[in-house]
Amino acid sequence: MTDTHKTVVVTGVGIVSPYGIGMDCLQAGMLSGQSCLVRTKDDWFPGFDGTTARVCGLPSMADASRPEFSRTDQLAVIAAQDAMASSGCDSSTFREAGIAMASTLGGLTEIDTGIAKDPGPWYRRPGGLSRAASYPFAHVADAVGNHFGIRGPRCAISVACASGAMAIALAANMLLDGAAPMFLAGGSDPLCAFTLSGFNSLQALDPNPCTPFDQNRKGTNLGEGSAVLVLETLAAATARSAKVLAVLRGWAMTNDAFHTTAPQKEGSGLADCIRLSMEMAQVSGDDIGYVNAHGTGTPLNDSAEANAYETAFRGRNRPIPVSSTKSYLGHCLGAAGAVEAAITIMAIRSGALIPTLRLTNPIESPGVDWLRGKVKRQPLPLAMSASSGFGGNNTVLIFGSGLS
Amino acid sequence: MTPNLPPIAITGIGSVSPYGPLAGLIQPGPLEPAAITGWTSAGERRAFLVPPFRPAAVVPGLNTRRLDRLSAWALVASSLALKDAGIELNSIDRSRVAVVFATIFGCVELTEAFYLSAAANGWNGTDPITFPETLASAPASHVSMFHGLRGPNITVSNKYFGGESAMLQAACLLRHGQADLAIVLAGDALSRSTYAWYEEADLLSPACYNSHPVSEAEGFIPAEGVAAVVLEPSDRINLRPNARTYARISSGLWAAGGEPAEIICQKIIRQMLGGSVPSFCTAICSGNGAPCATSPTATLAHEIVGEGVAIIHPNAYAQGLAGSGALFHLILASSSARVSGPALFLGTARNNGFAAILLELS
Repeated sequence: MTDTHKTVVVTGVGIVSPYGIGMDCLQAGMLSGQSCLVRTKDDWFPGFDGTTARVCGLPSMADASRPEFSRTDQLAVIAAQDAMASSGCDSSTFREAGIAMASTLGGLTEIDTGIAKDPGPWYRRPGGLSRAASYPFAHVADAVGNHFGIRGPRCAISVACASGAMAIALAANMLLDGAAPMFLAGGSDPLCAFTLSGFNSLQALDPNPCTPFDQNRKGTNLGEGSAVLVLETLAAATARSAKVLAVLRGWAMTNDAFHTTAPQKEGSGLADCIRLSMEMAQVSGDDIGYVNAHGTGTPLNDSAEANAYETAFRGRNRPIPVSSTKSYLGHCLGAAGAVEAAITIMAIRSGALIPTLRLTNPIESPGVDWLRGKVKRQPLPLAMSASSGFGGNNTVLIFGSGLS
Repeated sequence: MTPNLPPIAITGIGSVSPYGPLAGLIQPGPLEPAAITGWTSAGERRAFLVPPFRPAAVVPGLNTRRLDRLSAWALVASSLALKDAGIELNSIDRSRVAVVFATIFGCVELTEAFYLSAAANGWNGTDPITFPETLASAPASHVSMFHGLRGPNITVSNKYFGGESAMLQAACLLRHGQADLAIVLAGDALSRSTYAWYEEADLLSPACYNSHPVSEAEGFIPAEGVAAVVLEPSDRINLRPNARTYARISSGLWAAGGEPAEIICQKIIRQMLGGSVPSFCTAICSGNGAPCATSPTATLAHEIVGEGVAIIHPNAYAQGLAGSGALFHLILASSSARVSGPALFLGTARNNGFAAILLELS
């Protein structure tokens, strides 16, 4: 029998992505196979020649345009507002809510090389101090909390590219511990010269639209966005007659303990993470209908990830369907895990297995059904979102359409 | 946090601070800010600084070349905490060990270095080795890599209560069975740009500019360092001979403000304890960088726990770490006042929030 006080449900999903604000435009864009990746030259810094997915036309919000609100903060506030609207509640319902927001960049978009060369004069420039105040990644949680007057526990999370998924996992832990009656959990990261330059220096960027899981993949593309989930217990959701969008059935976090940037090549850390999440959800590999993969498109990540799926789903009666939606939106770094959690929920709710775009020659992996071509329509009771990041961080979330 | 669950014990302590790298409690002697020599400024500037040391001399085999100082200190502090706890990593399942790290600024020194490389060589000429070391999560990742720890690896931040948040998140992992043991770390390194920010925001104590004794100073003295503690479920400690318990954590909460601090603190303590307020022996006050002499936390502690309770005031050095100072507040309080029994670890950021952790000091 389900313990409604120990069951975590999703009652709101908010997103701002290159498709626009909200799940409707995301769903319409992805199900029609529209890629948001655009090749540009000299766009982010002189000499940049690559492909990104950009969020255009952010709405003007009085508080969100304050100087101490970085672009990271603005994206987060817009996604949180969309999540609250999607939950059918006004912001007063969230007064005592907790906030778990992830970011890898924080306010790096608001500062530049001048702050390192001579910080004093940089701070004395108009707005210098306020812009710098957004630098710590904790600010993204404060931005959401302060904007909406939310006063529960606030926590910011930064674990590289697994950040957004881990924020959701940690929020679920805290929710079950009674730290707050409900949580806004997600991630936000914008495009900026700092990260584009960093990934460029690592030779991890494909100048053309990326081809995750293809044998000829050449790297990733960066994107930007934010996604926020409303999490509460089933008991609380039932008490307020909330619409349950999905059940967070299982979650797990592991570390490869292997390398600063490279994943363990057999994908053992991610495979362990998948196993632990399925144990928590009390499901087997056969029960999982779809995996929204990390799938960056880099040679090392995708081969390790394929190995992880081979290990974790060994013994399954048919290959596990897997795709990377970074082929549509690029890699949103600290937001990626939350954005992909939102996409996984969308896949469950619409009964759509979303293919990887531009995948023509997939990695040979007999245990994996690499989704490509057209969207497959089928009921999807359980789906998984997998995230990994620099430093060996892994987080896996399992969402279900209903209770076991 | 759910009450009435088996408590979590602190069984090991390690730190890198102005007192140097240390295992166990810190014998607190007089501590004055030191002159900054890491960058030039117009006139002397002072802060609570970690004296230079060679990490490999403290932890044999440790290679910290090209790491941010914060990563290096996290590696040393975690090693010392494990040693203090008497934990032999080869004898435990490392996939069940979590690392939870709290920081405000992350690896800010290498972030500055990355910006300087962009200024010198253009954004197309930045350094690929430096870039991943700028991540705020790099110190925690290095701790997992060095010790081979494959459990959850988490980096958190909160402007005022990062350290408290890290401790409670780690306790949460243990209670939910997501790890058997956790290393909790909190700290920051001071850089030119962060110090200049404090200065331009007019936050600095006069003691940062001259040799006024700290006790008479008003304002904020920036600090650096990393503290680490080992957390384990209490029932696990019996399995290890010679294990020591510094304190047990029974519950805790933190939240943003919105109401006067005394109201929200009272409310949260009632929530944690289910309505009954026990007799505390001690209240340990933390802070968010407010001057020690004017810290509202001690006043609030008196209001909550009543007169006759030993109040341990916020420590000036730990105050300098702002939101990542909680572990040092706790370690230095335990080091200076040999107290035992029920204690309330209390932090406020005036009306911007609070944190409260219920402890049993050993």
